[in-house]
Amino acid sequence: MVRSVAERAYLPARNLLEEIGDMMILTGRTIVSALRPPYPYGGEFVSQFLFVLKLCWFPLLISTLAICYAAPGLQAANFLTLFGALDRLGGIFILAAVREIGPAVTAVVLAGVAGTAITADLGARKIREELDALQVLGVDPVKNLVVPRFLALMVATGLFNVYAILFGIFGGLAAELVNHQPLGPFWTTFFENADTTDLWGSVVKCTVYGAIIAIICCYKGMTASGGAEGVGRAVNQAVVLAFLAVFAFNYVFTQMLLATHPEILVIK
Amino acid sequence: MNELLAMPREWLSAAGEIGRFMGTVLSDVFGARVLRFSGETLRQAGILIISSTLIIWALMFVLGLECGIEGAYFLEAQGAPAYSGVFAAWCDLREIIPYAFGYMLAAKVGTGIVAELGAMRISDEIDALEVMGVDSMVFLCATRLLGSWLVLPFVYIAGIGGAFLASYIAVVQQVGVVSSGGFELIFWEFQNPTDFLFSLTKAMVMATVIVLVGCYYGYNASGGPVGVGTATAKSMVLNLVLVHLIGMMGTQIFWGQSPKAPIGG
Repeated sequence: MVRSVAERAYLPARNLLEEIGDMMILTGRTIVSALRPPYPYGGEFVSQFLFVLKLCWFPLLISTLAICYAAPGLQAANFLTLFGALDRLGGIFILAAVREIGPAVTAVVLAGVAGTAITADLGARKIREELDALQVLGVDPVKNLVVPRFLALMVATGLFNVYAILFGIFGGLAAELVNHQPLGPFWTTFFENADTTDLWGSVVKCTVYGAIIAIICCYKGMTASGGAEGVGRAVNQAVVLAFLAVFAFNYVFTQMLLATHPEILVIK
Repeated sequence: MNELLAMPREWLSAAGEIGRFMGTVLSDVFGARVLRFSGETLRQAGILIISSTLIIWALMFVLGLECGIEGAYFLEAQGAPAYSGVFAAWCDLREIIPYAFGYMLAAKVGTGIVAELGAMRISDEIDALEVMGVDSMVFLCATRLLGSWLVLPFVYIAGIGGAFLASYIAVVQQVGVVSSGGFELIFWEFQNPTDFLFSLTKAMVMATVIVLVGCYYGYNASGGPVGVGTATAKSMVLNLVLVHLIGMMGTQIFWGQSPKAPIGG
């Protein structure tokens, strides 16, 4: 009885730890083979980058506009109206759009749209035994498939973050207009509070998100098994893990950034 | 010109298809046809509880922590750390936690349904159901929708509790800018049962849409094992866009430009 209970609790925990370890190994191998010559992944990198770009730009646009119009836009404007200080919304948008929501929504959309597509693609290749065929031909799947996706997703997530911030600010402008406010004070408080630390923190954070998403999605795709349901299940697990990992990392990173750079918190 | 119009036309026809599918499933549930399979409904509800609940709560908890630290640091900088509770209350209840719920539901439950139903479609199990005289739409989709309606309100309410606890931990224990009593006073003052009801409505609309979208993409999967993977990925795209749109419309409709706060005019 005790033994069976212990085994039921122990096995999933061990599997999870093994999986995390495997992902770490994959991360290490990816970085090493990205740096070590030869570099055969240029063409694949460009095509993956364009693929991510084509897939994500529209969902990301709608998502950032919607969330920034509603959450920091309308709700924060509601709060500021109480004090008659609606011009302060620009300052709040530094906190909301640049530091928190921009990167978070970028990560969610990239994981949900590009990450799932990558897992489905690699999973299909695994099921059709194309990955084994590549290995037989002497082509390293990590170097030729994982590295270009890893780099493409990292670069794309970092750049998309700027795009998300831009459209997030449009959402804020819409909220100001809905409240019948002039836009001048918004821009004034926005640029007074804007800080390079915030921007680089945001971009660095997002680039790491891209790396996390790419590794999890590639790993899950390359280890898919079990026929038709296997690929679907791999996509499911990949996106769940990616969300949890990204938000856990976000918590640690935000906490560190805020605690080590207190000057970005000063409201000007 | 034709090429330019091809994409919107494709989207429109897909939207129509999805709308008709959703209408059929909803009428199956409201027409009580689903009650013939109440055993299956309860089984789906049970599967939802065992396999998805903890992970949904985990994301809600983490986002509650984030609301807490952002609020604490932001209001400390404003010189009003005592009011961290306002930020936490609004961020948790009104905005971010419904999104967290929607994200994780789309990722865990939505794609899970697509993978499961898609595999059934590919291996001709759905056709087999039809041949046996079972209405596959009711048996597979309507039972899942009713099952999720039975379970998810409670999952969401408990998850909100978890997020509140997380915000409390972040603001009071971790950052420590305000005393426990001071935080709770402001925190409970700036929310009311109506807010809670609105938040629950938002989350349940998201849940309904996510389950239906998952059923649609799984039920209509095609193209072998690869097709299941592609359908799963596609469902996630639509779900994410819809979650954000529902969140925005919910805020606009429920709160709009009236703060519903205990201070001010």
